[in-house]
Amino acid sequence: MKKLLSSLAAVVLIFGMFAPAVFADHHEEAMLRVVHASPDAPAVDVYLNDEAAVEGAEFKAATDYMKVPAGEHTVEIYAAGTKGEQDPVISTNVTVEAGKAYTAAAVDNLENLQLKALEDSMEASEDMAKIRVGHFIPEAPAVDVGPIDGDAVFSGAEFPMVTDYKELEAGTYDLEVRTTDGTQLIDLSGTALEAGNVYSAFAVGTADNPEVILLQDSSAMPSDMPETGFGGTNQTSNALLYAGILGLAAAGAGVFLTRRKSEA
Amino acid sequence: MKRILTPVILGLFVFFASYFLLSEEPLKEAGVLSTSSQDEFMKETHAGEKETRDALENEPIQQNYTPAATVSPDKQEGIVPNRLEIPAIDVDAPVQSLGYTDEGGMAVPANLTDTGWFEPGTKPGNQGNSVIAGHVDGRSGPAVFFDLKELSEGDEIYLYDDEGTRLTFTVEKMASYPFQDSPIRELFGPSSGQRLNLITCTGSYNQEASTYSERLVVFTVLTEVEDV
Repeated sequence: MKKLLSSLAAVVLIFGMFAPAVFADHHEEAMLRVVHASPDAPAVDVYLNDEAAVEGAEFKAATDYMKVPAGEHTVEIYAAGTKGEQDPVISTNVTVEAGKAYTAAAVDNLENLQLKALEDSMEASEDMAKIRVGHFIPEAPAVDVGPIDGDAVFSGAEFPMVTDYKELEAGTYDLEVRTTDGTQLIDLSGTALEAGNVYSAFAVGTADNPEVILLQDSSAMPSDMPETGFGGTNQTSNALLYAGILGLAAAGAGVFLTRRKSEA
Repeated sequence: MKRILTPVILGLFVFFASYFLLSEEPLKEAGVLSTSSQDEFMKETHAGEKETRDALENEPIQQNYTPAATVSPDKQEGIVPNRLEIPAIDVDAPVQSLGYTDEGGMAVPANLTDTGWFEPGTKPGNQGNSVIAGHVDGRSGPAVFFDLKELSEGDEIYLYDDEGTRLTFTVEKMASYPFQDSPIRELFGPSSGQRLNLITCTGSYNQEASTYSERLVVFTVLTEVEDV
């Protein structure tokens, strides 16, 4: 019996060695992108916790989402190439949560530059498009956004406000950004909004020269990877077979040995 | 009692030990299979971008970031693909337009010879990540994407539509990810590039879960649009 227990212990020990290690948890990350929406600011470098994350972003530039650890980060923005020589134009703290996406937009004229942190939506419904609008044109009046000659979809957005997301039927829209009294500021004819996608439209520039950056925040995606195999060419079944043969052989050898011992 | 137990335990032990050794252990993290890592690739493209900029605009500012996915009307070469050709591994297969499974996953063709484009996502050629999946094998033999693992950086993939457009995508890198822990957003989400990702199964087959432990992803980028 004692022998049996010790053999079992050995088996357990060996199993411990082969047990798959717990997957390293790399989901404690958030996504962050940076938008340069300050019309008179120079190209900038963005430092996250003293490390260069973005170099040489010019007005109207938007970076792709960068993975950052969840938690609080110090964001510093310098005129390009001036870190170490000059003070940052902005230094601020941003807290990000795991699994969420954020946009940090540098807005307003250089002398009043501020960093606006927004949480981005990561999913739209299956057959609708989702869009929000940001008013980042300093000194411009409040605006409406909607179809040309149609009712406003977003109304009364003031600088530096960002609206909530709204769901729209997918399709191509002739949109415009206009002042609340109806004067067109930006013509956005032929804006294609696709089902399952999420967009952010940021009006930037100056009152005399307004423009829109239309960013895509998310797109239609499945919850799981595809099931693309049935195992017909995989060696696992062979491994089972070989292991079975070896195991039987070992058991046979064991029977043979114990029998010889008891005969002796 | 002991006479039977000892050999049985010995047999079982050898069986399990050899099974674990023989069957392939799944990768714990994404393994980059191609020789050029993404970082190297990024460096290359940025060096390239900088050169053109310098030549064209005499732009002195160094840029190191990937631009966001923006929506611009002039970058839409998207097609509804109906045929996929990969000369490097002798693949020439129909492409079905497919959507979601009942569970919300990515649907795949019911046969072993076709490939499936994830139709709710991006059209191949448009800005963003378009995705085409194919089976690696059936219950008894190889399927359309069996040789996908043999591709390497620089190989070309052709996609055709009904109207005679041919898109050429070039392989950038290959990686494999654990099935339950794949970066779905990186493969299907927004991108500033015009990208096509091919997916098939890899790793070891898990009989219990009826699925492979990993997914192989071939990342490609649009390099040419022609009428043929």
